[in-house]
Amino acid sequence: MNRTLFALSAQAVVGRRRGVVLLLLPLALVGLAVVVRLLTSDAVGVEATVGLGYTLALPLVALLAATAVLGPEVDDGSIVYLLAKPVSRHTIARSKFAAAWLTTTALGALPLAVASLVLDSAHPGRALALGAAGVVAGTVYTALFLGLAALTRHAVVVGLLYTLFWEGVIGSVLSGVKWLSVGAWGREVGHAVDDLVDAGGTGLGYAVVAALVVSVGSVWFAGDRLRSFTLRGDE
Amino acid sequence: MAESTSPRGTDDAGRSVIHDLGYRPYTGPRLGSTAIARSLVLTGFRNAFGLGRSGRSKVLPFLLLGLNLLPALIVAGIMAFVGLDRLPIGYAQYASTTQVLLGVFVASQAPVLFSRDLRHGTIALYLARPLPSAAYAVARWLSLLLATLVFLVLPVVILYAAALLTELDVSDQTREAGVALGLAVLLALSLAGVGGIIASWSTRRGFAVVATIAFLVIANGVVTAVQGIADGEGSTRVAEVAGLFSPYSLYRGLMGAWTDADTLAPPTGAGMVAAYVVVLVGLSAACVGALVARYRREASA
Repeated sequence: MNRTLFALSAQAVVGRRRGVVLLLLPLALVGLAVVVRLLTSDAVGVEATVGLGYTLALPLVALLAATAVLGPEVDDGSIVYLLAKPVSRHTIARSKFAAAWLTTTALGALPLAVASLVLDSAHPGRALALGAAGVVAGTVYTALFLGLAALTRHAVVVGLLYTLFWEGVIGSVLSGVKWLSVGAWGREVGHAVDDLVDAGGTGLGYAVVAALVVSVGSVWFAGDRLRSFTLRGDE
Repeated sequence: MAESTSPRGTDDAGRSVIHDLGYRPYTGPRLGSTAIARSLVLTGFRNAFGLGRSGRSKVLPFLLLGLNLLPALIVAGIMAFVGLDRLPIGYAQYASTTQVLLGVFVASQAPVLFSRDLRHGTIALYLARPLPSAAYAVARWLSLLLATLVFLVLPVVILYAAALLTELDVSDQTREAGVALGLAVLLALSLAGVGGIIASWSTRRGFAVVATIAFLVIANGVVTAVQGIADGEGSTRVAEVAGLFSPYSLYRGLMGAWTDADTLAPPTGAGMVAAYVVVLVGLSAACVGALVARYRREASA
């Protein structure tokens, strides 16, 4: 961790237009929760609303945050100035991850808990569980997308295909996808905190180990890619 | 040699100057703005699929196209070997099922057409030509529209061919495929507009992709959630009105109204169906208008 790098990365995440879109996503979720709460009586629509936040808003926030800390610098080539500094590439990766992780937690996981509280204030345990699930899934998503951003220029599209196509479309057809689905791991942890959250179906032990392995591995991989970085022109 | 090849220098010697090297000017026909716009549309259409660009940029569009066509080919194979008496998936329903791939395709290829010229400043070279900035904007939008249409229409064609080859009723199939094509045009119009306006607004490629997807998918997700809840509560009118707020849900609504596909809260009554069409077309028109304004500002800057 390097505080200067952390501050610079944080600036890149929330700066200008990206910050606006990053804010709009959780606002849309909480706004939807408020509208649903006002229009319906008792806890109808918690599943639909929170499911939307968990399967769409959270991965998108993580993707925006993780690619923001690395993508633009690689695109315009200014990352060579950063890599020329006498700082370990792994430290760079970790600092960037820290900035992205903080954003994902604040704007991806926290709104889940807030939306759950708005819709169903009788069960604060559910909000806590959803928050926990969001933090776990958000951490893995952020690390995974950071690794992708260090690997390829098409990190955003690959990340989108992973969350929307692999986890969403394929995952709804083939149940075996849950073993390779970040969302299922997070749900499993949420289920362990409170029964009201559906289990992912992989077992808590597997979910925790898989989440840890992928997170640590991805951040290390990002650092390793930066260590042997080659700059390519625009295609 | 100089006596015969120089058109101006030798014929009236008085106007000849020492610098006249005898180069011949272009005297052939000069094509106007229409031809420039037409070739711009064609190049843009090819570029959207990575044709005429590096090998690496062909991977993504063709991967997406392949994934999009795969279910249609599988359906065609099943039709051939099992011999079903109807298609297992409706023509119009297909695009709704693979909407994620469609969204990712539009989102990832719109920056290719709209962002790069703006980011690298090459837009100045286009605007220095006789082509007006509005024509440039419309040409780019048309390229994206055509590419999106290819993406949407090819599966319908494959399914239609499979249906005809297994000798399903021709008139029924033709009518349903026709409706699906009409719907495909409406959806492509709005997707190309939305993708274009976001890509020209934010020229950072990765960011434009996520912003487009966020708009398409989150809006659709919010609408679906509201529709599900409102339908469960018994207020179908609310569910129908909610459907007006995202391109995908508009498509889904019209599909429910015009085909026998089973969808959540399709619009009932001619007025509501008309509203769906008007909103979908109006959104596209508004996006094109905004694009034209965007490039006019670029031209005058």
